[in-house]
Amino acid sequence: MRHAASCLLLLALACALAAEPGAEKLPYVYTKWKQFTVKDGLPDDHIFAVKSDGDRIWVGTENGLALIDKKTARVVKVWTEKDGLPWRVVTAIDVDPKTGDVWLGLFGGGLARLSGGRFDHWHQLNSGLVNDVVYGVAVENDNVWAATTAGASRFNTVTGEWTIFTEKNAPMEEIWNYGVHYRDGKVHLAVWGSGVLEYDVKTNRWKDYLDPDGEMEIDLYRDDGIIHVITTGANYVDGVIWVSSYFGAARYDGRNWRGFYNMDSGLPSDFNNNLRARSGREAWFASDKGLGAIMDAETNTWVAYTRDPKSDTGKAVVTRDKTVLETVEMGLNLPHNFIIAIDVDDRDVFVATAKGLAWGIGEGYYSGLRERPRMLAENRREDK
Amino acid sequence: MRRLLPLLAATVLFASDAPRKPPANEPLVPPGVEVDEDTLEVLRRINSVGPYEVPDLRLRRETSYAKTPIDYEPYGKIKPYKEHFLEQMQYNGPGRAIPEPEDVKTVKIGFIGPIMSTVSIATGGASHEEPMGIKMLQGARLAIEEANAKGGYLRRRIPFELVVTNDNGLWGSSGNEIVNFAYKDKVWAILGTIDGANSHIAIRVALKAEVVVMNTGDTDPTYIETNIPWTMRCIGDDRQMGYLMVDYMIRKMDYRRIAIIRASNRYGRFGVREIRDSARRLGRPVVIEMAYKLGQDDYSLQIDRIAEVKPDVIVHWGDAREAAIILKQLRERGLNQPFLTSDRAVSKEFLQIAGPHAEGVIAGFPWNPDSSNPRLAEFRERFRKRFNDEPDTYAAHAYDGMNMLIWAIQVAGLNRAKIRDILATRSKPWPGVTGDIPFSAVLDDAGEVYLAKFEGGRWRYYSREDLGIPRGYVPPRERTARGLLNPAETK
Repeated sequence: MRHAASCLLLLALACALAAEPGAEKLPYVYTKWKQFTVKDGLPDDHIFAVKSDGDRIWVGTENGLALIDKKTARVVKVWTEKDGLPWRVVTAIDVDPKTGDVWLGLFGGGLARLSGGRFDHWHQLNSGLVNDVVYGVAVENDNVWAATTAGASRFNTVTGEWTIFTEKNAPMEEIWNYGVHYRDGKVHLAVWGSGVLEYDVKTNRWKDYLDPDGEMEIDLYRDDGIIHVITTGANYVDGVIWVSSYFGAARYDGRNWRGFYNMDSGLPSDFNNNLRARSGREAWFASDKGLGAIMDAETNTWVAYTRDPKSDTGKAVVTRDKTVLETVEMGLNLPHNFIIAIDVDDRDVFVATAKGLAWGIGEGYYSGLRERPRMLAENRREDK
Repeated sequence: MRRLLPLLAATVLFASDAPRKPPANEPLVPPGVEVDEDTLEVLRRINSVGPYEVPDLRLRRETSYAKTPIDYEPYGKIKPYKEHFLEQMQYNGPGRAIPEPEDVKTVKIGFIGPIMSTVSIATGGASHEEPMGIKMLQGARLAIEEANAKGGYLRRRIPFELVVTNDNGLWGSSGNEIVNFAYKDKVWAILGTIDGANSHIAIRVALKAEVVVMNTGDTDPTYIETNIPWTMRCIGDDRQMGYLMVDYMIRKMDYRRIAIIRASNRYGRFGVREIRDSARRLGRPVVIEMAYKLGQDDYSLQIDRIAEVKPDVIVHWGDAREAAIILKQLRERGLNQPFLTSDRAVSKEFLQIAGPHAEGVIAGFPWNPDSSNPRLAEFRERFRKRFNDEPDTYAAHAYDGMNMLIWAIQVAGLNRAKIRDILATRSKPWPGVTGDIPFSAVLDDAGEVYLAKFEGGRWRYYSREDLGIPRGYVPPRERTARGLLNPAETK
């Protein structure tokens, strides 16, 4: 009798999981997550930056730098000021693919390079770094760009030459740089009060993207340009520019803009600290109310990840426009809903929160939408 | 038992991060701290949450941003897709659960202002803001000294300490200073900044470091148009003063040709923005706008151009020195049109340079120093006694701003997020020496602003009602709801 009941249950499960012909096309949902906090060896729970680098994850915190080994899923090394880290608060990380050098933006401490176990340090009194408050760092060929609170600096690691970009030589209405990103020959700066600036490495020319209505208090039309001049991040992938801001998000495919707000999309909140784009169709947003991923830009299909504040569980809500397609309950996903930074690789996602790091493991990840059954609630959290 | 398991698990989970619970016999707020029932309820709520929860607080919601009249609204004939700043920002991070530290000997509050004579790229050249910064420091210092005389931080009976730094160094140094405040000095809140560029740099850092910045001297409207839940301001801004000046010039005086001369720095650029836009929206576009570099002595080029367009009225936006020199040179050229200027002209320096030309000059002003408010009279007396000088706008607002911070620290305890919450959710206007200070949804001073007129050898301060200045219609609905209410309102 017991055996028969088990068989019936399995059959029902199999039916539920089988993709029915004509089943709805849905995005991939991350259900397997790992979390890292000080209990796991991080120097601080307040995470400002994360960078996936092959088998390694670099983590910049409010009180030091940490390295996680992906294979063992353990924090294997921590650097604080005692260990030579020039300043405790690490707000940005990038890795030079050619040399493996790790470049760190330090919040009030300038720019540092971790190379061969040694830290080198540049600041506004010993270099061409325009300001020590560094919000973003990006490696572009032999150059390293730093987005600082008083302009952008570019350091040529071969010649040692520094170039400073401010309102004097770039179309910066304001000089308060927030984010920098390099890909496919273009550097994009997200500038607080000056929208997004694009620098073409080949031609050395600048192009600016501003809010067309020019007003702080409104967004006149949703899809007329970036939604606000106060921007926090800009990524360029597959010829598409993705933009985050404290007022919502935007996407530009070279011909058309599209704005995203909490009121018209799956974006968990309009307050977005940063973003990371995986492709022209998929981008991840670091909001103050959870992690928002637009998984298919064309159909405005999102997955919003949040943790339950009162329990050790989380959920993912799949939406198209504002229609909920699916709610997937799961074990703990994010250590906290206040998201500060994100990185992605081909499969996984790494999330810096105000109280720990999350690693979403994309087993069976697929891009875009696929016909699949709605997911059953399951807890695939691995014990730490 | 099964039902108890999740509860036990949650208890274990939150145990290490549990907020510090005061002993049972300790009152919620120390005796001697004025607090109403609304604030006590906020305190109960923010004290009860763990690091993963966001307290249910009554957030401010408004139907009109900055009480903007319908005919001053941007793109007035079009329904915007989204309107910002109508709902108060909440802080959603884990900071409320950080326990109050035990090893504190003083309660540090940061002060950042232009108090030293340095050169700043942000201010467009040599800074003329030191006199304002010094006054601001004096006002803040007086508030600290008075709080310490009453017992300091009353939960522990330890003194408040003002950590003072300069904000007009080179290369956006205000950012570095806020980093030092947050991570080295470990201040509990920050007061300061006058220059708009330095202010923006400072609040971006404060947002990341999660510490309140109370601004008491920067009237740049964009300061609070940033959606940062950690920033607030207790002084009326250039948007409000600009609206009043345009109402005066056009609605009351019916001037048709408005000329603008302004500093080329951020203060000048953003200060005139609402005047220029509002005048255009009323069908009286500004006929000329001339900018000058700070520190010039000769304004003949700008004055030549202004003379050519034969204006009815001339508006200046910049520092006191430039206002006075430009006024003198205008009058010497025979341009005797009414001269309106920004609040910085209400100063000894302006009167010294302008001399008799000051008569009749009108300035927008963020408060009423002629008020019969007894708090103001008492403050003046104490200020004179302490500094042997008169308090000005910057001193008075810094005094108010610092007292607001001290009050919030007394109520909330030593927790930056809770200090923010207590200020951000205060339901009653702050009873300041500069008048009542009600916060808007963006935590800006939504109180009344004034016109200062130099008459009979002294500045007199007039409210809108005093001068009978008409007010534009402020619709009781969001702009995004346009067309859903009475169509007559658009007439």
